[in-house]
Amino acid sequence: MTVYDKATIEELYRGTLPWPQLKQMMSAFKDVERFDTFLAVLQEQVPWDDQVLLPLGPKLFIVLKDDGSIVTKSMSGHEFGDYRENWKLKARIAVRDTDEKMQEIYPRWMHADPAWMELREYYDPLDGSLLEVEAVPPGYPIVHSFEPYLEGFYTEWLGREFPPKRA
Amino acid sequence: MLEKALIPQILAIDAGGTMTDTFLIDQDGNFVVGKAQTTPHDESIGFIQSAKDALNYWDLGLDASFPHLKTGIYSGTAMLNRLLERKGREVGVIVSGGMEDYLRTERAIQTYLGYPFSDRLHVITHHHNEPLVPRERILGVRGRIDLFGREIIPLYEGDVRDAVHRLVDHDVASIVVCLLFSYKNKDHERRVREIGQEVMAERGVAEKPIYLSSELYPTRQDFPRLNSTIMEAYAAEPSRETLQVVQEVCRQAGGRFELRIMASHGGTISINARELARTMISGPIGGVVGSKFLSERIDVPNIACTDIGGTSFDIALITDGEFSTKHAPDIGRILLNMPMVRIDSVGSGTGSYVRVNPITNRIEIGPDSAGAMIGVSWPEGGVETVTITDCNIVLGYLNPDYFLGGDITLSRERAIDAVRAQIADPLGIDVYQAAAGVLELFEDQLKNSLLGLILGKGYTPESYTLLCYGGGGPLHVAGYSQGLAFDDILVPAWAPGFSAFGCACGEYAYRYDKTLDMALLPGDGADKRRAVAEAIIAAWDELKEQVNAEFKKSGVRPEAVSYRPAARMLYYGQLNDLEVPVDDGYGSNLEKMLDGLYDGFEAEYGKMYGLAARTPQFGYMVTAVVMTGSTPVEKPELPNEAEEGPAPPTAALKAGRNIYADGQWVPAQILDLQRLRPGNVIEGPAIVESPASTMLVPAGRTARLDRHSIFHLTTDAA
Repeated sequence: MTVYDKATIEELYRGTLPWPQLKQMMSAFKDVERFDTFLAVLQEQVPWDDQVLLPLGPKLFIVLKDDGSIVTKSMSGHEFGDYRENWKLKARIAVRDTDEKMQEIYPRWMHADPAWMELREYYDPLDGSLLEVEAVPPGYPIVHSFEPYLEGFYTEWLGREFPPKRA
Repeated sequence: MLEKALIPQILAIDAGGTMTDTFLIDQDGNFVVGKAQTTPHDESIGFIQSAKDALNYWDLGLDASFPHLKTGIYSGTAMLNRLLERKGREVGVIVSGGMEDYLRTERAIQTYLGYPFSDRLHVITHHHNEPLVPRERILGVRGRIDLFGREIIPLYEGDVRDAVHRLVDHDVASIVVCLLFSYKNKDHERRVREIGQEVMAERGVAEKPIYLSSELYPTRQDFPRLNSTIMEAYAAEPSRETLQVVQEVCRQAGGRFELRIMASHGGTISINARELARTMISGPIGGVVGSKFLSERIDVPNIACTDIGGTSFDIALITDGEFSTKHAPDIGRILLNMPMVRIDSVGSGTGSYVRVNPITNRIEIGPDSAGAMIGVSWPEGGVETVTITDCNIVLGYLNPDYFLGGDITLSRERAIDAVRAQIADPLGIDVYQAAAGVLELFEDQLKNSLLGLILGKGYTPESYTLLCYGGGGPLHVAGYSQGLAFDDILVPAWAPGFSAFGCACGEYAYRYDKTLDMALLPGDGADKRRAVAEAIIAAWDELKEQVNAEFKKSGVRPEAVSYRPAARMLYYGQLNDLEVPVDDGYGSNLEKMLDGLYDGFEAEYGKMYGLAARTPQFGYMVTAVVMTGSTPVEKPELPNEAEEGPAPPTAALKAGRNIYADGQWVPAQILDLQRLRPGNVIEGPAIVESPASTMLVPAGRTARLDRHSIFHLTTDAA
């Protein structure tokens, strides 16, 4: 049975594992404790005490607060409200929709035509961290692109109660 | 079996990553295997130690034996390691302008070569290789030859001068040149070399070798052609010096033979050969070359060769006395364009790990393995996952106190505990049942691969003799041949050393390939036919000259060389070519030569794909020509002793033990291989032990040892 210690999973999170080891981990059966170990690693990284239930991105999490509410929260501590609501609507949004703005990050002729596709960057209102980027046609609605069925995941997949008791 | 005076004749050395094996053969075909630790900093030390170890068995010293040696064959992994560890020469590369990123973009296949199927499917595991040459030392020059060999854009000589200057500034050890379509027209590459030599002379720097892809590997596909040419400059050339040291050490010990190396095309070549890189991928082919030799000596034209080592199961077919050749092998995840003996490899060996998949609750074998660390049963190895060897120990097939002749002691208790905890308990079955299930699955997988290969080529097991070698072969051959009606099943007594033996059986042969692309369509008239024939013969003549030039370095005159021309052909419009041998005596009758070629192709095609699949109305295409030149060399003799009675001598009987078979423990006869006599017949259930290998004869089957020290195992197929 595959088992990894927490230090290895922490390196996995940081991206510092050497390639051969990373490849071996990808090819091997997944360790059954991975989810819990990974959450434990994340919990040590975040500067606040709310319990991480699921990571949404490198700096965005779904967390359980002391008052029992479950919210989307960024690394900096900004709370976007209930996890079932579209957090993007409450982020700071920068849109690259002109050649000029595209060429801040792409060489000339190497980016999409802004009339066909624009880049939307979602920033953390508190510390300005980039939380997500999407490439969509102009006018495309801001959709809640990942809304997990968290209760089903915890009760049916992990076989635990939901919301979980505070660790 | 050794009583009379011994005169060693043939020396074959296999310098592996950890151990250097020496195979020493005397005038009667007797042989011993010596071992010593490999010494990577100076391979000649390990080589001499290993040779001394082998000679010790015969109470001979170096000085007394080396002068008698007629042949010395070397094969080693140093070149390969240099590649894998990226420790080759600093090479500069000149390519067609615009193609400078060859090594960074690679061909996609190189990002997953060598992966098991599951990892090939998942793009996330794909991974770019570290380029052998960094981008700043790969420079483009303008100019273009098209696919017909015509100059479309002249070579920009100023670009070439600039590139050479920059590479000289980088202080490269050598320069590799690979331009598009240079296999069709060498002019631009040759001009690059001239300019390069001029620039170096002007600058007053020592002249650095310049390698041209059009001279070394003039076949289609620029990427493998570039890889092969770089490999020559990067990994092979430094090895030449190592080999020269080994040769020198042999001379000092009184050896008068010329050291040769096994090359991928199945022949041995001199250490001074121009194309040395092809010796790098010769690892597993020794066994196939040995099988071909055996095929000739015991007159069995069709052999299915199977080799079980610690990490893989290698299969090759010898049909009508010939192995087949593939033209785009790969090594260390790099595609090459050199001819290589075709071997199919399955990632299952005796060291393969065995696990229960937690999702499906099924047993899975490999693809990774414990390799030289054996398994859990060897405490010093530090292995924690059960291997196939562990299962063999649990079931009594392997003797834990006689592994490698007792050099290392294995722990049966550890194996039983591990199989129970990792396999039996999760599956909820008995530990012996679990181990037996693992072996059944393992042998079934081997059987399926073997059968798949034979049926896939349109043949049947009935028309083949199964030959089994490698350290793990004799133990599992009964299992993976179960139910298959092979004509015969052969297990040489020297199965563990068969690959080294095979190296000693290699011809002294050079082989060259050249892309040609000549079409001959149904409506073509006599003029076209003559033009095609002349082009083919001109190409053969060119390759013959190369063969002769290589032999000349070893003092072999053209009169002593016999030539085997061949052509690679396909039906016009098809994709896969077949190699068609041609009789060298075509003389001046061009029509006869062409007819022979086409008839030969029709016959090959019919054999491979079925007679009904032949479609001559498409016309033909000769994609490439091949020339192999060989000269006779000393080869081993097979042991040949008079057969005695079927009953094994009592001296050969060891203390019996129980083995687990068909769900129960049964008493098995245990025999000592070294004390068996030719003619002895072993009735199963029995186990034949020798220091390097163990053979299982299951109940209901028998194994007869013949006059050549080869066991004939009966099949159980109806």
